[in-house]
Amino acid sequence: MSSDPIISVDRVTLQFGQFTALTDISLHIVAGERVALVGSSGAGKSTLIRLLNGTLEPTRGEVQAFGQKLHQLKPKHHRQIQRQIGTIYQQLHLVDNLRVIHNVNAGHLGHWSFLKALISLIVPLDVATATQALAQVGIPEKLYDRTDRLSGGQQQRVAIARVLVQNPMVILADEPISSLDRELSREVMEILCNCQSSRTLIVSLHDVDVALRYCDRMIGLRRGRILFDAPSTAVSSEMIADLYRL
Amino acid sequence: MSRPASRFISPSLQWGMIGLIAIALSLWQAGLFRQTVVNFNGFPLLWRFVAASVHPDLSYDLLATTLQASLVTLAYAVCGTFLSVTIGAIAGVFCSEVWWLEVLRAKRLRYFGFHSVRAILAFPRAIHELIWGLFFLNIWGLDPLVAVAAIAIPFGAITAKVFSEILDETPRQPLLALINSGVAPITAFFYTLLPQAFLNLLSYSFYRFECSIRSAAVLGIIGAGGLGYEILLSLQSLRYEQLWTFFYALLILNGGVDIASATLRNQLGCASRIDLNSHRPTKRNISNSRIFSLFPIAIAGVALSFWYIQPDLSKIGSPRSQQLLHQIVQTSLPPNFTGIAELIPLSVETVAMSVLAIAIAASGGLLLAFPAAQIFLLSGLLNRRGNANLFPLVLLVIARIVLLLCRAIPAPIWALVVLYVLFPGILPGAIGLGLHNLGILGRLFAEVIENLEQPPLKALSAGGTPNSLVFLYGVLPATMPRFLAYTLYRWEVCMRETVIVGLVGAGGLGRLLTEQLSSFDYQSLIVTLGAFLVLTFLVDWISGRVRRSLRAS
Repeated sequence: MSSDPIISVDRVTLQFGQFTALTDISLHIVAGERVALVGSSGAGKSTLIRLLNGTLEPTRGEVQAFGQKLHQLKPKHHRQIQRQIGTIYQQLHLVDNLRVIHNVNAGHLGHWSFLKALISLIVPLDVATATQALAQVGIPEKLYDRTDRLSGGQQQRVAIARVLVQNPMVILADEPISSLDRELSREVMEILCNCQSSRTLIVSLHDVDVALRYCDRMIGLRRGRILFDAPSTAVSSEMIADLYRL
Repeated sequence: MSRPASRFISPSLQWGMIGLIAIALSLWQAGLFRQTVVNFNGFPLLWRFVAASVHPDLSYDLLATTLQASLVTLAYAVCGTFLSVTIGAIAGVFCSEVWWLEVLRAKRLRYFGFHSVRAILAFPRAIHELIWGLFFLNIWGLDPLVAVAAIAIPFGAITAKVFSEILDETPRQPLLALINSGVAPITAFFYTLLPQAFLNLLSYSFYRFECSIRSAAVLGIIGAGGLGYEILLSLQSLRYEQLWTFFYALLILNGGVDIASATLRNQLGCASRIDLNSHRPTKRNISNSRIFSLFPIAIAGVALSFWYIQPDLSKIGSPRSQQLLHQIVQTSLPPNFTGIAELIPLSVETVAMSVLAIAIAASGGLLLAFPAAQIFLLSGLLNRRGNANLFPLVLLVIARIVLLLCRAIPAPIWALVVLYVLFPGILPGAIGLGLHNLGILGRLFAEVIENLEQPPLKALSAGGTPNSLVFLYGVLPATMPRFLAYTLYRWEVCMRETVIVGLVGAGGLGRLLTEQLSSFDYQSLIVTLGAFLVLTFLVDWISGRVRRSLRAS
């Protein structure tokens, strides 16, 4: 494990028109870290995640991933970097009327040729990998079900399976457990944390206890600014109270 | 909205007043209140025509002709639909915003690319099938190719527009999610957007088929063969018994296609045309695999149709056609502007005709739609004692047959029938157009009523509200916005269709266009066509504005 940061954000400010979503954010994440982003809703957690995967561009400052400045790359290289960053969105963004296997296989699309992708839409390819990923998240029997027929928790697992198939170096997860009950939350966090030790995980959470239990570093966001950035063991209840103070 | 909404003059009231004034002005323009419009000498002839409906000619020879003509019309429609959906699918992708913005990532080029493709497509769309038909007739002569191309080109452009709208309104996040995980945009497009939009695209294609079959009948009138042609021949030689045989064939053909298409669209969960562009979650009763089993059938049908009509495809690129096309282009330049003063009154006539036509269609459609909708009959909503009452059933059957008859018979044929009892002018044209569109609008309205959300009505009813008030407070408010939207869409169509009643002398720019086309006066034609395009775009713009302002309120 090298100590060079795998992702680094340098003095980034991001504005949507008049509204400033993130102010002067700097952080460095090294490979293998498990980082929790905590803060109340509207603090900028989702925005930060979309900044890290290259969906949003900073207004000021710069974002580097794997030593490359994300927003100065040519589209082709940009895509190559993005393939190494898998994102699980809060709204999942699955293609509802396709079967589960296609949504899981979507994780391959960064490597597949256009023709292979087309063929796979008609005759699903790489069934073994998809089955394995679904087994990892505990729903192998749903392989050929239509995605919109699954329950919310099952769809969440499909989204995770898609990222597992993509097999990126970094996983970004935006509120992956917000709509799940305690037992399911625990299972999902286990899946995310246990998949590979060298993999970096950045997860936004509203539940501080979960963050403490599964992550080794916590970043507290409040109104678009970093309030604290510390090892989980060093986070005190005062810091948490300050984070959620109105 | 920028202005605070007034308490008394809502936008809908305001537009309603403007609409009424427009109708009154159009009636004035049509010569009502100013001159005699009714020709009483024509009534015996009209009676002969009506009386023939109960004894159509059922001789063996005529039935054989009818069958053959029906097959030709059906085959034109199938081939035309196939080509227009193919054109629409390809062009639709290229004129969708999502393609330029997300797939090509052409941020700056987007405005140029996307708007120029859209602008180019607006022209073939604005010109009616009939004008295309007459144009191709001048190049290719009488060949089935003329009918197929005349349907394929304008319908292809319309389909492209609707397809692009469907693609643009399909949720975009799954696409972006894939693109941002490093997937090549075009792969992501095929993997996310197309599967999501597929059902809507398919269901719109079925709707296009219904339109194609009506169009195929109209194209018969310019000599392309099929039922329209036979009908025109019988009408001109006053053989009403034969005429009604063809009418009934058209009725069966249209009814069959409409029922099949409606059933399929219902199964797909996209029951109505407007639902395509709304974000209502659709109920899907059919699995993807069952849809795919339709494809071999469709391909076989298309192949069979092409084989049956035998279009001479060699004509498309033949030296003779190229020479004729070259000639037309040469003789149409420079444009001849001498007749431009004449165009202004004709334009006014054209707009007046379209306004009257849509007024007739909307009011007639509204009256017939309620009895034609199954809802009251099946749910027993307005018949809560549940006693079996035969009266609504009879009413339903009659209303549906009237609607079917109205839309199955092409507008110019209606106009010719109306000409028995009215003096020539824009009024018979407007009535002809109005009757035809009445059938279409009435059916669309009935679909809207049948797709009404039932629970709010049941809730009203359960509170002891009398039926008449359930209608007033539940049914009417829920359906009226959609009715208005359909009516405005249809007004745009009526505007284009003034051309086809112009063919039988109903006046307006349409008459002038067809005259100039058949007398090869291309220099003047190009100016008239220009005026017609301007008028069409103007009506589209007004209709779009009204729809937006009604939606906002």
